[in-house]
Amino acid sequence: MEPPKPSAFIPVCTAVCLLLGSTSMFFVFTCPWLALNICPAVPPCCAVLFLFVLANFTMATFMDAGVLPVAGEDEDKDDEFRAPLYKNVEVKGVQVRMKWCASCHFYRPPRCSHCSVCDHCVEDFDHHCPWVNNCIGRRNYRYFFLFLLSLTVHMVGVFTFGLMYVLHHVDDLWKLHCLVTLVVISISGLFLIPVLGLTGFHLYLVSRGRTTNEQVTGKFQGGVNPFTRGCWNNMEYLVCSPISPTYTVRPWKRAAVRVQPPFLRPELDRQMAAKIRDNGTHSLALQNKRPSAGAVELSDIKQLKTPPPLPPKPDRSLLKSQVAVSDDMGHHTKSIIPVSIPTVPQLRPVLEAISRDSSPIPPEQLLKASDQQAGSRGVPDVSSGSKESPARGSHQVQPLLQPSGSLQLNSLPLNSRSLTLKHSSRHGSKSQLLLMHADGLGSNLAAGIISTSGLLASQCSSSVSPSYDNLISPADSQFLAQRGAPSVSYHSHFMSLGTDGTAPRPAPHSYSPVFMGVARHSPQPRDSSPSLQGLTSRDPSPSYQGFLQRDSSPGFQGLIPRDLQTQSITSRDIPPPGAAKREATCHGLPDSLRDLIPQDMTLPKSAAARYDNFSKTIMASIHERRELEERERMLRVQARSQALYGPDVGIYDIPSRRSLPPDNVRPSGSRGPTPPAYGSREFLMSTGILGYGLRTSPLSSSSTSSLTRGPKTSSSPLQSSSSSLQSKGRSSSPAYLHPERQAQGHSSSSTSTLPRLPTNTYPAPPYTSYPTAKRSSLPFPSEGKESVALGTLK
Amino acid sequence: MAAEFHNLQEMQHSALLVTKVFIQRDYSEGTVCRFQNKFPSELNNRIERTLLEETVKTLNSYYVEAEKIGGQSYLEGCLACATAYIVFLCMETRYEKVLKKISNYIQEQNEKIYAPRGLLLTDPIERGMRVLEVSVFEDRGSSGSTPSSSMSSCSSAR
Repeated sequence: MEPPKPSAFIPVCTAVCLLLGSTSMFFVFTCPWLALNICPAVPPCCAVLFLFVLANFTMATFMDAGVLPVAGEDEDKDDEFRAPLYKNVEVKGVQVRMKWCASCHFYRPPRCSHCSVCDHCVEDFDHHCPWVNNCIGRRNYRYFFLFLLSLTVHMVGVFTFGLMYVLHHVDDLWKLHCLVTLVVISISGLFLIPVLGLTGFHLYLVSRGRTTNEQVTGKFQGGVNPFTRGCWNNMEYLVCSPISPTYTVRPWKRAAVRVQPPFLRPELDRQMAAKIRDNGTHSLALQNKRPSAGAVELSDIKQLKTPPPLPPKPDRSLLKSQVAVSDDMGHHTKSIIPVSIPTVPQLRPVLEAISRDSSPIPPEQLLKASDQQAGSRGVPDVSSGSKESPARGSHQVQPLLQPSGSLQLNSLPLNSRSLTLKHSSRHGSKSQLLLMHADGLGSNLAAGIISTSGLLASQCSSSVSPSYDNLISPADSQFLAQRGAPSVSYHSHFMSLGTDGTAPRPAPHSYSPVFMGVARHSPQPRDSSPSLQGLTSRDPSPSYQGFLQRDSSPGFQGLIPRDLQTQSITSRDIPPPGAAKREATCHGLPDSLRDLIPQDMTLPKSAAARYDNFSKTIMASIHERRELEERERMLRVQARSQALYGPDVGIYDIPSRRSLPPDNVRPSGSRGPTPPAYGSREFLMSTGILGYGLRTSPLSSSSTSSLTRGPKTSSSPLQSSSSSLQSKGRSSSPAYLHPERQAQGHSSSSTSTLPRLPTNTYPAPPYTSYPTAKRSSLPFPSEGKESVALGTLK
Repeated sequence: MAAEFHNLQEMQHSALLVTKVFIQRDYSEGTVCRFQNKFPSELNNRIERTLLEETVKTLNSYYVEAEKIGGQSYLEGCLACATAYIVFLCMETRYEKVLKKISNYIQEQNEKIYAPRGLLLTDPIERGMRVLEVSVFEDRGSSGSTPSSSMSSCSSAR
């Protein structure tokens, strides 16, 4: 607030001078005669009255009118960006408009107004009175009104008595006493008229229950005033209502209340819940069990909390909750999903393996593996089953890799698991990515696949993309958990595809080539994803190729395509999982996943050596990079062709706040209108990254943040995240990174592409298009520049 | 190592402010101070619905009592007028007394009910009686490189 201008004090000073001066003159020169000749009680009464005037004047001048303190950042941050200017509220049946105050950052309560002179909002704002140099509002309106009343009476009295004196001393008019009295009565007479008018006006307002502001702006001119209590009650309220204390100065301070975990949670549907309620010890114990679990173990309490399907929360909490859930539950939490969806990272190994022409894990095998994990439950169970495994995996976190691996990939070779362990250094974003992918990929199968691929990916990518590793390992569970509901749905979709073995979607022929191409690739070059190498190292088994031909599993194909698509597919450069996804644009992701899964399963055995071969990894990464680029090109082509498919196209949906959203399955080439930021860049980046299982924490965090603010600002968050990702580009990043980088670079370089992806897919029914979305998303990242992807992967 | 572990333990037991949930004023009865008794969805899995609703209901009743126009408010007004409002310097009005009661009540609720659930209520008077702010905390767990941020300060400490 600016310091008060000196000119603002002129009316006040004038008023004070006039009032004090005149009255004192009156008392000195006129009152003695009045006391003698009229009544001795006149001066005391006038004195009392004058005292009352002064008191009210002082209160009106110095009392806080009801200033509302400016809202803190926390309160307005939700409103600031997308706040409508007005908010309607119903007051006693009448619609009243609350306006957003840009200065004070809140919606002004009814009858509240912002005083431009004082630059603050005042409750029940009446007007800003220059004569008292203060706002008149809720707290001091009474004093102002009483001041007006008392001043009127006082002025009338002074005028009357002065006139009487003058009339009695007409002969001595030029004497000092008379002159002074003349001056006094002329002043009082002169100012009596406006003061009387103002008093009458406010009497009218009070009787109608309006403020000056409302009267002047004509708010309730024709309508009903909901704030009036009736004439008498209004008067009563005016005079007798308690004065609320000021808001700006709090007289007392309270002792701080300590908030310390563990926290109780209501209606815990997990076992933990009950324990927690009893005492925090159990949860504490649980917490202590996994001291280094990190986000995964965040808090048992969190686990208990039923994580909403990707609420707009920080990644951390999401992750925690999901991890917790998966951990905790081990059994159900379908919402958490982490399990089922074979995230891109998980699939990446498979994809890479495929691309490297290593003996790709036959899809059937992968599928089997995941199936094993998933158990023989139905589709929904699959997800839960898958969840379990990751949950279990995540439960143990570091040591978990093995259990999770074992859980999910029964047949997964030890190599992958060990590799996973090796690389499961980081969780967090990567895991989120992994989860995201997992979600996209779908249910149990995904889980199995993901875990496998994740493991593989982590292993492979460890050398190249540490983030990927992290993604794979702890991420598995975490991601799965995070994927939550969307993944579940997707999962079922995926599963249905997988189990049926039929391609629900028109098999994109492009996928076949991809797989074929992948299979043809020698595993070696694909070092970027050692896990994938393992996959690819397997000879392009017929199953794999069969997988390639399995257009029916678009989703999975989308995952795999990257490696597979080297040749034919529109070549997104997404790392295998991503690639697969992308390729699977046209098809459901599940199919791809299914295909991948078996491959993944078989991969470990032969890939073991590869995983440990870092030099190979490097070479593979280089090779993969090339492949990715090629794929990207192909994918673009494919995307354009796939654009026609619409939602059916692989969706590279940004897992905006949730597991990969089914929409935005748009191949990079065929991006539709810019989707909400929610889906666009962030999604692309996240999915792209996830596809490759290399979701760096910055990426995830940025994408997460952008996700939550998506609605507010469309492309900016995504852009920023993508740019941040890009900045991290590494030239030597493994092929896995490429897709992401490319995706990011692509996104950053061409905002249009990123947004397009989500927008296109956005309208599509989430779950149905989810697999496709995934697929399209996969290609998308590959379109990004390498540098970008690499950077982001970090 | 031990120190690390200890820190971890501490970290696990520190709370981090995650978000704030705002319970808005209920203007359906005019400008009297009332808060909406609508249960915010963000708190669905943090606290039982009945507890929060009970708190809000009690607060609303306190505010009704504070703003009641009746015998005591008449007396206070007359006394104030008679003494040219000098009495305000010496005496506490009824409204202020009720506000103190409200503050105590919120403090007690925080200690007993909300803090154990990782929540903190902020006295509405500090927000200009516009909202009832509920701060939501999360267990920081071992996630943090962030400095320990156990939110201990009550809003009134601001």
